[in-house]
Amino acid sequence: MKSKASNIGFIFFGLIGILPFFAAFIYALLYSFGMVGAANSGFTTEFWVSIWQSGAFLRSLVYSTAVAGTSIIISVSLALWLTLKFRKELEVPFLSFAMYLPLAIPGIVAAFFTFQLLAKAGFFSRIAYAFGWITEARQFPDLVNDPYAIGIIATFISIVTPFFLLLFLNVYKNERVEELAQLSQSLGANKQQTVWRVSLPVLLNKTWTLIGLYFIFLLGAYEVPLILGQESPQMLSVLIIREIKQYDLSRLSEGYVVAVIYTVIVTTAAVLLFSRKNDVRHEG
Amino acid sequence: MFLEVQHIVKSFHKEEVVKDLNFTLAAHQTLSILGQSGCGKTTMLKIIGGLVRPDGGHIYLNGNLIDDVTPEKRSIVYLYQEDLLFPHLNVFENIAFGLKIKKINASEITDRVHLMITSLELQGQEKKMPHQLSGGQRQRVSFGRAIITNPALLLLDEPFGSLDTGTRARMQDLFKRIASEFRITSLFVTHDLKEAILMGDHIGYMQSGKLKVYESKESFIQDDHTGVQKEIDFWKGLTK
Repeated sequence: MKSKASNIGFIFFGLIGILPFFAAFIYALLYSFGMVGAANSGFTTEFWVSIWQSGAFLRSLVYSTAVAGTSIIISVSLALWLTLKFRKELEVPFLSFAMYLPLAIPGIVAAFFTFQLLAKAGFFSRIAYAFGWITEARQFPDLVNDPYAIGIIATFISIVTPFFLLLFLNVYKNERVEELAQLSQSLGANKQQTVWRVSLPVLLNKTWTLIGLYFIFLLGAYEVPLILGQESPQMLSVLIIREIKQYDLSRLSEGYVVAVIYTVIVTTAAVLLFSRKNDVRHEG
Repeated sequence: MFLEVQHIVKSFHKEEVVKDLNFTLAAHQTLSILGQSGCGKTTMLKIIGGLVRPDGGHIYLNGNLIDDVTPEKRSIVYLYQEDLLFPHLNVFENIAFGLKIKKINASEITDRVHLMITSLELQGQEKKMPHQLSGGQRQRVSFGRAIITNPALLLLDEPFGSLDTGTRARMQDLFKRIASEFRITSLFVTHDLKEAILMGDHIGYMQSGKLKVYESKESFIQDDHTGVQKEIDFWKGLTK
């Protein structure tokens, strides 16, 4: 009975979770080789060669990885610091409720907030003008649509940090990190050794899969880099949509090439992440 | 005396949890302390271990006042009620933790840990993670990790409370052997009457934050408050 139920569950998972994704991937793959599509006339590798030679994809991949990686590293570090430093203060009912609020704000809204705050004609620019720090708007530094993706990274941090903070606070309680830290001190470790050898490893050991998944999620983020990013290089999702939505039908296939490569990279990363999740670390 | 506890008091939110705690303990001896849940046993141990600050009183260890000494410098290890192992480290690494903190060289750590693993009858389990061990094995690792650092004083807070009867009996034997082998000075807190009598060279009884240490096991058995007489009467009643 149980195995029948699990079989049905597996079939539903296949039909709803895997089949549409797989069908879309096959369609994109065929499009990228010119085997489907109104403007295509049969198998060709010219779109793959073109994407490879233009270097747009590689630039976009490196740029996206840097932006997502920087955002995750800063967010995780900030959330860990807040957890270890202000855990008791964050347990106050109002603060623990307030931490959930940023999670309810959609990415597109957060991006608009950032734009309103950091743009040359935005809130901070006006404050700087009012205080006489700048005499005209263009003197305000480029914080949105800028080459260093400061606006994108700031928005990602504001969205992601509360999530990791809640996660770490829960793991801190469930894994009894406070008692482990006391035990570590009792065994002779000072506060710094306790943080580096006990508190941080326990927190990260329990959460690194989620951290990895969030990195993949940010790698493929669309709305925030669309509003706050620059023209070139663009983050992967923005690049893919730009290529696929082009009026020039002959270049549509190049968008699918990028989509196929991106899908393979992200799927491989996700599979590696989950296959290593149950590995047990041994040291003699 | 090796350990001298003088006039320790501690309150939480106006509730006096530990009341004028006074006792002494000679080196290489075990004082078992019997008491019901909530009588202040854990707070007492945490105060001695430096994990909770008392409201008043003094503690001397080997003649030195340790009131202001931080937990990591007291050379007192507090063992939790549960077998609290570091979940990200395997058996070897858990036992080696205190030695690595002291930056002892790697080959000496390996030798001492393997010796301890043999003493604890944990051969072949070195690379297992805590979740792969049984309750008794976890408790043994917990012991080994504490003892290997050669602490001046070991504080055991109902260490066998979560074990089944058979495992508990084996662990009691093991602790007595290890305590004798490594010449351990310890406070052994328990709410089990038989365990208190079995484990301690001396016995104390704690009730509502006050501790009474008995001069002999006989005087402990004679005292009506400890419940030993009731227990004896119960078993005698069964045999009639």
